[in-house]
Amino acid sequence: MTIDIPIGLAKGPGETPQDFTFVSPDRGQTLKVGEFITYEVEADGEARFILSRIIDRQPLRLYPDAFLAEPEINPDLVANLIGYLQSEYELFEITATMIGYFDEILGGFINPRLPPRAGRPVYLASDEMLARLLTKKQSNETGSAQIGSLLSRDLGKVPIILDVAAIASTHMAIIASTGAGKSYLAGVLVEELMSHYNRAAVLVVDPHGEYDTLADMMGNAHFQSVDYRPEVRIFRPGEVKVRISAMEISDLYYLLPNLSDRMMWLLGRAYREVSKISRQEKGQPDRWTRGELEVYLHQLGEGRDSEGEDGSSKGADYASTAEALNWRLESVLKHSLIFDDFKHLNLDELCRPGRCSVLQLNEVDEKEQQVMVATLLRRLLKARTQTVKKQVSEGDELYLPYPVFVLIEEAHRFAPASEDAVSTRVLKTILSEGRKFGVAVGLISQRPGRLDADVLSQCNTQFIMRIVNPVDQARVAESVETVGRDLLRELPALTKGQVIIAGEAVNTPVLCRVRKRHTRHGGETMDAPAEWLHYFSAEEQDRFERSKALPAQRPRDRKSKMFKE
Amino acid sequence: MIIGKIIKSNTHTDYICQVYGPGEKESPPAREDYAFGTFVGVDLGEGRRLVGIIYDTMLFNPDFGRMGPRLSPEAELAVFSPDYLEEKAVLIGILAVGMVATSGAVLQGVPPLAATSDALVEKLTDDEIRVFHRGKPALQLAYVPLVLAQKSPLALHLLQTVIDRLVSLFPEQAGLLSIVKSDLAWKAQIGPMGGVR
Repeated sequence: MTIDIPIGLAKGPGETPQDFTFVSPDRGQTLKVGEFITYEVEADGEARFILSRIIDRQPLRLYPDAFLAEPEINPDLVANLIGYLQSEYELFEITATMIGYFDEILGGFINPRLPPRAGRPVYLASDEMLARLLTKKQSNETGSAQIGSLLSRDLGKVPIILDVAAIASTHMAIIASTGAGKSYLAGVLVEELMSHYNRAAVLVVDPHGEYDTLADMMGNAHFQSVDYRPEVRIFRPGEVKVRISAMEISDLYYLLPNLSDRMMWLLGRAYREVSKISRQEKGQPDRWTRGELEVYLHQLGEGRDSEGEDGSSKGADYASTAEALNWRLESVLKHSLIFDDFKHLNLDELCRPGRCSVLQLNEVDEKEQQVMVATLLRRLLKARTQTVKKQVSEGDELYLPYPVFVLIEEAHRFAPASEDAVSTRVLKTILSEGRKFGVAVGLISQRPGRLDADVLSQCNTQFIMRIVNPVDQARVAESVETVGRDLLRELPALTKGQVIIAGEAVNTPVLCRVRKRHTRHGGETMDAPAEWLHYFSAEEQDRFERSKALPAQRPRDRKSKMFKE
Repeated sequence: MIIGKIIKSNTHTDYICQVYGPGEKESPPAREDYAFGTFVGVDLGEGRRLVGIIYDTMLFNPDFGRMGPRLSPEAELAVFSPDYLEEKAVLIGILAVGMVATSGAVLQGVPPLAATSDALVEKLTDDEIRVFHRGKPALQLAYVPLVLAQKSPLALHLLQTVIDRLVSLFPEQAGLLSIVKSDLAWKAQIGPMGGVR
């Protein structure tokens, strides 16, 4: 390792056993919070350089307030007046927290808990050292995702390269306020996943319809190699269907409004019965249609079903309940964009290595979105579980031989903290078990305070961008254990495109500047004043006039008239 | 204008000067010549001198408190005991705040050399004060911390007087001086009344 000129001298211990302080004039103004420094100690029998991160910075010298009384007079002149003739006066006490030395064999940092001795030099960690130690992968390597560069260094000097294997097994979350750049970051991440060195199977749940610009990847040479070209498929609202019979009874309970206990009981009975009939007649329990369910409910209402579960027929009592249920089933499912009697999610079509499927749900009711995501995730997990356990083979509907990464925008809709959505349960199952079967999720949310705390805490790689809301900050602090308090204090101060990355995909938490996207960004805020002004442009006004004008009349056909006469 | 001579020192920078009284000099100094805050020079020989500021005035009167009978009435003292009259004196305290070397070089702060007894004390002219304070890029008051370190109840007032004097001598630096002056005024006038810094 190359040793630079020391930037400070160690002073003593900090508040916690991991912290220490050093004193520096910081002439280059480089010692910002989040910056990395290093010092040499004898640890485990060897001289080692210990990487540390700056967590606080306090000035040791300040001019008296009175020196700053006159805005037009430089306080240096006042200091000079009373005989302080030094050209620089600033001195800082910097607090840093030890990260450790990197152990190549263990592939992680080992903290020897040895702060520098008082008076020993402290160095700024070099770009090369950081590029080697902060992240687990090298650029363009299989399993790497270069999403930007270290914020405290010049643009591109220290690339931040994530470990895709970690993200694709232990899940991730992107958390940020509106306008902080979370969709942009997600776009960068998808670009990396779809690059020729990763060729991932990615599914994007896009409730706002802003990821369609990812299709630019298909014609972009950056993503291609001799034998590879990424494929992006945009599924517009209504193009992907969920077969009604694939829904669980809990999904139906959730979808249908204001169900009484009696209705739920009756619906449950009808659901079990049509499933049983479907299994007997079609070999699968989930091949019935809405019509069949409604007919069976009607029969139950008329008392024409087989005997009740308790051995007695009470059909007459259920007539109005059955009709009410049928009415609800029809109003919710008949004209739904999502639900269908026969068409169903084709996992093989949605999830394939080198293919990014974007499921646009922007015209779909929120409850239907939740049921669709729940059904999709449940089916994915089932397919992967059965494939890994070799319970299905090639040609089976649930045969899915590749790990899948599902990116879910507006995740607080699908795992809300305040209510029990149908999708929450399956998300929790995937977060706890998906690792074994190769189903990983990436959750994106602008309201972590409204996101289920368990769900958030199980995302082992976190991308945290600017968060101003104190409730959201508190939720992040309680759910994200790997990010230190020092970095969380930075949250309100982060600007667009700046992100704290922590967790499994990096060796230590880092402040990163997100790189430029290779594809267009689809989630840009609309410039309303520009749109309003455009209305008054000559070109637009002409267009309006043309559209309002009456169709031109045909000239009279004098000849024919003449002949008539 | 010679105003007196050093008769004692309390510390390396704190001197007591006895002001020439009537009869000691042909033209003894007027009260204005040894006023509070006046800049004085103390002769060190070889063209060198200490530069000091008058920070205190004391009246010395050996007769005060003597309750015994007098041999002569007060009106006849000049005839019968002229020496006794000369024992009454005006003493001034001088704080040495710098030095001017033989070459004319100015040092502000604690002077390396000390004055001796009987060293003559002279009031500085306006030009001499200007030369002592001239610095780069602006004027110099490097003795301010030294004055404040004396912990004298009059220190703030002394500096206020000095700065008022300098404002008149360096009108072009009034803005810069006003910052120090304003701070001193706050500490001297408002601070004792409970003003918060």
